[in-house]
Amino acid sequence: MNRKKLYPWYFASGAAILFFLLCFLPGVLGIAYSFTDWNNFTTEINFVGLHNYKRIFEGNSEYLLYIFNTVLFTAVTTIAKTIVGLALALLLTRQFIKFKNFQRMIIFSPQVMSFLVVGLVFKSMLHPTTGFLNNFLKDIGLDFLAKSWLTDLKIVFPTVMTVDTWKGMGYIMMVVIAGLMSISPEYYEAASIDGATFFQQLRNITIPLLKPVLVNATVLNVTYGLRVFDMIYSLTNGGPGNATGVINTAVYKEFSRGDLAMGTTLSSVLFFFVLALLYFIIRAMESKEVE
Amino acid sequence: MKRKSIRQLLGVSLLCAMLAGALTGCGGSDGGNATGGGSDSAGGTGKEVTLTFGSHQSGLPTSGIVQELAKDYEAETGIKIDFQISPDAQWRDLIQVKLNSGEAPDIICVDSPIGLASSIHMDQYSVDLTDKEWVSRMEESAKSAVSVDGKTYGITFAGPKMYFYIYNKEIFQNLNLEVPKNYSEFKAVCQKLLDGGYTPIYECTTNGWHQVLPLFETGGLWLSDDPAVYDKLNANEIQLESISHLQTIIEQLDELAKAGYYGPDYLSNSWENAKEALATERCVMTVAEMGFIGEVAADYPDFGAEEKLGAFVMPWGDNQSIGVNPASNAYFINKDSKYVKEAEGFFDFLARPENLEKRLAGQPEINAVCWSGISTKYSEEDQAFLDSLEKANVVQTSVNYIDSQWMDIGKDLESMYTGAMTPEDVVNSIAKRRNDQAVLQKDPGWAE
Repeated sequence: MNRKKLYPWYFASGAAILFFLLCFLPGVLGIAYSFTDWNNFTTEINFVGLHNYKRIFEGNSEYLLYIFNTVLFTAVTTIAKTIVGLALALLLTRQFIKFKNFQRMIIFSPQVMSFLVVGLVFKSMLHPTTGFLNNFLKDIGLDFLAKSWLTDLKIVFPTVMTVDTWKGMGYIMMVVIAGLMSISPEYYEAASIDGATFFQQLRNITIPLLKPVLVNATVLNVTYGLRVFDMIYSLTNGGPGNATGVINTAVYKEFSRGDLAMGTTLSSVLFFFVLALLYFIIRAMESKEVE
Repeated sequence: MKRKSIRQLLGVSLLCAMLAGALTGCGGSDGGNATGGGSDSAGGTGKEVTLTFGSHQSGLPTSGIVQELAKDYEAETGIKIDFQISPDAQWRDLIQVKLNSGEAPDIICVDSPIGLASSIHMDQYSVDLTDKEWVSRMEESAKSAVSVDGKTYGITFAGPKMYFYIYNKEIFQNLNLEVPKNYSEFKAVCQKLLDGGYTPIYECTTNGWHQVLPLFETGGLWLSDDPAVYDKLNANEIQLESISHLQTIIEQLDELAKAGYYGPDYLSNSWENAKEALATERCVMTVAEMGFIGEVAADYPDFGAEEKLGAFVMPWGDNQSIGVNPASNAYFINKDSKYVKEAEGFFDFLARPENLEKRLAGQPEINAVCWSGISTKYSEEDQAFLDSLEKANVVQTSVNYIDSQWMDIGKDLESMYTGAMTPEDVVNSIAKRRNDQAVLQKDPGWAE
């Protein structure tokens, strides 16, 4: 290596200092505050050790429900978006489909809408008596399917996850389509000459070659799912009661209550969680690359 | 070689400029506050005085009547008033920071009461106004909301808030129903209305606050058992769980919900649709202030709200006294202001009877001001009804750590309606949050 050709270290110092001051330092400070009793009502800040963490994980605290909800939301939406996105991508790259680009655009369009708009629109569409969905179901004689979508404890979380999947699937579809385009058609030709069926081709050619794309999509979906806030906030505000509360709605609530330390503690828990998950996902990605 | 060093020099100086920019950006907010700060910005060298008036959006009536009165004051005295308005959600934090750093405006508008542990302690930052002539003209409940330890620090205007059941008199008449005086009568009325094809009560939980009113507007029940109950709760001598009325009312709320008296959609309803629900006679009763009748009349002129709608006291837990909430926005004078005299002059001006009348006339959402000698906008019939009622202060302005968790309680009730919590869980949850807040704020009553 020609060391003279390397740029000197101080070329990066500007960016490094800014990153340190604006990103790294506040992050570390945030974690440090989670070990204190920092709040809105006094200027005094005392070290309280792991007290805040104990409050989260003790007995049947409501925070455990939020953590469970966050994990459930992440798992379900990640799987649903990937499966639906993949299915749509496979469908919209077939020869027999007309106006492919137009259809792709329609399916992708929810992605560019604001969460708040999607939340408010669905809130009105899912209203039990005046909402479009129930009225439509009643008009076509499917009264028994008309439900209290956003207030019935049993179906509210699946409803929220469905709306989120609807909003996010277009993006995954586009990513997968890009991946599909890069697979050489010769593989499929060879496979069909050998008499492989569609599902055999999918299992042995498409999925293995799409793996890097799918891993990337999963990383995006998982990090989004764990940090979800806007969708839940605009659709149910964590309700009814706290049934659809997630970590970030709890963080928001703690900050507005003035319990800043608890807010940072929950954020820190989320941070460690995301970090740990990403570590494993990236490890998995790297091992695939070695193969 | 020379070019290289020029390039290096340029690079280093750009880096310095960038860092300087970033650091100035960090410190910028302080500078901004200083220029906005009241006492410094009050202009002039003796003759021309500008008072700064800091408020949150809902602290000033949307009709602009306060600004109009300020113009009148300027015409009379030459003293200008500069209004600095901040968003509601940020005001509490913002004014607290400004007060702590000595940069608060000359006149400050904050929500009363100021005597609760969870309030902004305006007594520490404001001029004592106890000796002012107008203090005695403020109604007792309003005065107590702006006083601490017998000293009055602020001026407030809006009359007390009172929540009733607003009901459709015509439908009651048609079904031969009497105004219910206790819970069992209330339940019977609801059943008859339901049998008559109406949704008896318009309830809405999505806004988060409306469903909570029955719990704490019925403080008269608490006081009838023990007149010192509020003080004892604040001193942590008794626990919230020991107030039997609280759990009773929560159980009754649940019972009526399960009986279908709120209709099928109450968990999806919002307060904005309440007027429509009553005006279309889809629903017959709802908890609201008297001013609601006027609002329905304005939005649905054909309905005849003024003739058709009436009010009765919430009969939850057999309650028969009306909860009076004296809290409102109040104005205070910053004791570090350079222009205390001028600001006091403005308060004197606002407290003149003709200006109080002008304010009441120019503020459509209120029916009365909390000042003796100023007649209200209530009709004779309404006034007689109000005078006939037994009154009691509401819980949230008298007991600490209730108002601050109002929306959380709304969510608890929602959980109860969906079956995720029992009435007992709701009481425990309210008590727990109250204890947590007290400990967080190092309340002396909760010291170990």
